[in-house]
Amino acid sequence: MSHGFELEPPKGPPIPDNPAVAAIARVLNAINELIVKVSMVAMLLTALVLTYSVVMRYLFKVPTDWQDEASVFMLIGVSFFSGAYVQSYRGHIGIEFLSTVLPPSVNRVRLIMVDVVSGAFCAFFSWKSWTLFHEAWVDGQTTTSTFAPPLWIPYGMMALGMSLLSLQILTQVLAAITVSKVAPVAAGRPA
Amino acid sequence: QATVLKISHQFPGGTLEEGDFRDRLCRMFAAEVQKRTKGALKFEIYPGSSLMKTNAQFSAMRKGALDLSLVPLSYAGGEVPEVNIGLMPGLVPSYEVGAAWKNAEVGKELNRLLLDKGIVVVSWIWQAGGVASRTKAVVDPDDVKGMKIRGGSREVDLVLKAAGAAVVSLPSNEIYAAMQTGAMDAAMTSSTSLMSFRLEEVSKYLTSGRGQSYWYMFEPLMMSKAIFDKLSKEQQATIMAVGAELEAFATKAAKQDDALVATVYEKKGAKVVDLNAATVKKWQAIAKATAWKDYADRNESCAKLMKMAEKLL
Amino acid sequence: MSPLTLGVLYGVVTLLVMFSGMSIAFALGVVATGFMYFFMPAASLDTITQNVYEEMASITLLSIPLFILKGAAIGKSPAGRDLYSAIHAWLHKVPGGLGIANVFACAMFAAMAGSSPATCSAIGSAGIPEMRRRGYSPGFAAGIIAAGGTLGILLPPSITMILYAVASEQSLGRLFLAGIGPGLLLVVLFSGYAVYRARHEYQLALAAYQQGGVKSAYLDEEHFTLRQKVEMLPRVLPFVILLIGVMVALYGGYATPSETAGLGALLAMVLIAIVYRVWRPKDIAPFIASTIKESTMLLFIIGMSLLYSYVMSYLHISQSAAQFVVDLHLSKWLLLSVILMMVVVFGFFLPPVSIILMMCPIILPPLRAAGFDLIWFGVVMTIVMEMGLIHPPVGLNIFVIKNIASDIPLRDIVMGVLPFLLLMLVAVILLCLMPQIATAFPDALMGVK
Ligand code: NA
Ligand code: NA
Repeated sequence: MSHGFELEPPKGPPIPDNPAVAAIARVLNAINELIVKVSMVAMLLTALVLTYSVVMRYLFKVPTDWQDEASVFMLIGVSFFSGAYVQSYRGHIGIEFLSTVLPPSVNRVRLIMVDVVSGAFCAFFSWKSWTLFHEAWVDGQTTTSTFAPPLWIPYGMMALGMSLLSLQILTQVLAAITVSKVAPVAAGRPA
Repeated sequence: QATVLKISHQFPGGTLEEGDFRDRLCRMFAAEVQKRTKGALKFEIYPGSSLMKTNAQFSAMRKGALDLSLVPLSYAGGEVPEVNIGLMPGLVPSYEVGAAWKNAEVGKELNRLLLDKGIVVVSWIWQAGGVASRTKAVVDPDDVKGMKIRGGSREVDLVLKAAGAAVVSLPSNEIYAAMQTGAMDAAMTSSTSLMSFRLEEVSKYLTSGRGQSYWYMFEPLMMSKAIFDKLSKEQQATIMAVGAELEAFATKAAKQDDALVATVYEKKGAKVVDLNAATVKKWQAIAKATAWKDYADRNESCAKLMKMAEKLL
Repeated sequence: MSPLTLGVLYGVVTLLVMFSGMSIAFALGVVATGFMYFFMPAASLDTITQNVYEEMASITLLSIPLFILKGAAIGKSPAGRDLYSAIHAWLHKVPGGLGIANVFACAMFAAMAGSSPATCSAIGSAGIPEMRRRGYSPGFAAGIIAAGGTLGILLPPSITMILYAVASEQSLGRLFLAGIGPGLLLVVLFSGYAVYRARHEYQLALAAYQQGGVKSAYLDEEHFTLRQKVEMLPRVLPFVILLIGVMVALYGGYATPSETAGLGALLAMVLIAIVYRVWRPKDIAPFIASTIKESTMLLFIIGMSLLYSYVMSYLHISQSAAQFVVDLHLSKWLLLSVILMMVVVFGFFLPPVSIILMMCPIILPPLRAAGFDLIWFGVVMTIVMEMGLIHPPVGLNIFVIKNIASDIPLRDIVMGVLPFLLLMLVAVILLCLMPQIATAFPDALMGVK
């Protein structure tokens, strides 16, 4: 990988053996693909918005008071929504030191354990994000700027993104538990 | 068994005797309360946002996850719209009017409202501010026409916009760099922050807040009601008493900074200008038509508070 | 439990969880939440999401993805290959020439971006494959980029220096200027090492080939006529336009630092669209997608590490450790050494931003009392914190590289980075012996303090 300049899209994440889990994984992959497409547009839009801000202020002396927050919201959305996508490729980096030391059977259990704990944390974080979202929605909370956009927007994106991430990890745990034959060393993970 | 309470703020840390007066006030408060409760209450002070982000403090106190904080009240304006009254241009034209709030109708109503939201106001602190500018002195509202200026809050921005400025929004930590390169012409903030941000190095003009100003900010020392309620009646009384006693120190220190900031800028070769009653009136007139109205129109409770505050003018 | 005992426990648990193989971001979150549950008021658990949100919802932090996009647009399109071909044509006679070029590229990017991982990613996405194509060992290529990336917070603009200036009540302008001398010193040290190491690897490659082994790309005989070299120059043009465009916008006062990130990304996209006709969705989608992947990975780690440091701060761990050192009343240089060692230890887990916020209020007064110039110390501390960015277990730059070149084993990256850590230590020692390296420039421009 990464020797030259690959401009072709990367292959999709591994599909689980168990048909039921595979079906869930396919749905999640489709959602992730869609999210990445939207995120790409959001990212370009952010670059445009910040440039627009410079141009308007400099050439036309027009106040630029919404661009920063609009950019923050879009990038918060991109980051949290893409969390599951990155997880589907095991792109959240960790220290894979034990995978070279432990025997495959122990390794398999370790990976499942690690995923279960990660998933539990993400689920807890999702729950607390939904509470935050609810508070902001009910109280009509906004940011403190002149633009004052409602805070349920970013909180909602955080909550949805983290929920999706939790679901992604859960699917990966299910895939690991229901795997038909154990692949050599750290199935589905980059070394 | 001593109870340890945490005080968080965003200002530079120092000691009891030296540094930013808002940090010193927290330290004096801690020392005095600890002394009077014979060590039953102890404090840990977290300066410079070293515990949590400025904007997270108010909400954390409401939930009982943070004990005390000294923070500009209007920062919580997105959460509780009523508190925007804490930085309303022209509504408080002097320290005397600010000091009168606590025991006037407006202060009592604000206090009740905050208690309702889970916040106890321990010490009522007001501070004046001014404008640091690199292009021209900002005295009259006409001066800001076409200037790229940072107001720092919704209400101030509304006034600046109405006066014809190109309002810039950027995080406070980027002010210095933006002023240095010219991405921004001027910034409006408290006298103490005008110094701690070192804007004198990148400014040619200062509109000082000494004597007359239309920019007064309410930045109280506040406590979480959930935590406050857990203390004994005696401890509660001590906290409120020490908080009230420190208000005189705060006003004195704030006034000293208003004077000191002028000296600091003059030393760096900046031209320092002052406001007079007539110019303050001009700003007030614009604010009345924009920020005050915008605020009062939000809900009944805001309208009520505004009316009460206007009675002190 | 005393804060210090708690601190040791916190560190040990973190290491255990991280070495279990859990993703760094989740590990930080799990440990922080766990300690919150056991050692902090129950209400704290209700605030974790808002704390993470408030830390992340800053345009300064969120400009990182845009800086990465700018780098990726050039680095992962034919523009990057052309640029490196041109550099190679001109510099191939110089041993380690390409390595030097990468160090300079990092320095130039650092002058536009305020963050180290962004610098690392931007230059590394083309720099690492190009160096490897020409025979550089993976570890060496990774080391250059990881170390070069650390210039991101030493050369202005710098997110961490902004925070330090506020915490220490020093002039930000002076601090920015003070970073330039040491930044250039590091450029020289890194370049010098690149020459030495490239020569060494060349000799090894030559010996291996002579004994009948494979022929390394190091040994490729290449010759470029002057005409060929000159013809390659226009290929550098898009890059030069981008560089000048962004610099003028930033330092000419047209754009705020965060706006520069958006402007730069857009300009880079426009340039490759015009010059290389890379504009169709299917052309640009791959590198925007990789930008999203990388910045999401990074922002998750940064967001969670801010939660992690919140717990550490609440439990008064870092403050107590710093206070403990201060209370030892050490002699001047011993005090400095112990404090810097503590910065290194915190650098195991924490990003520079958190180290500054938690340590500065406690360590700066005694350092000032001991007679250290706080501008000078800010620069020294920045370099030491940069070392934290390239050493495990939490080293953001290492993770960025692991992401760019996933086939290089982590061990090789860490070994490749090691010499650069030593060079940074050398820079710190030189700065202690000759403080003027940092202070001369600001003194000349802003007058002696
Ligand atoms: Na930089
Ligand atoms: Na580290």
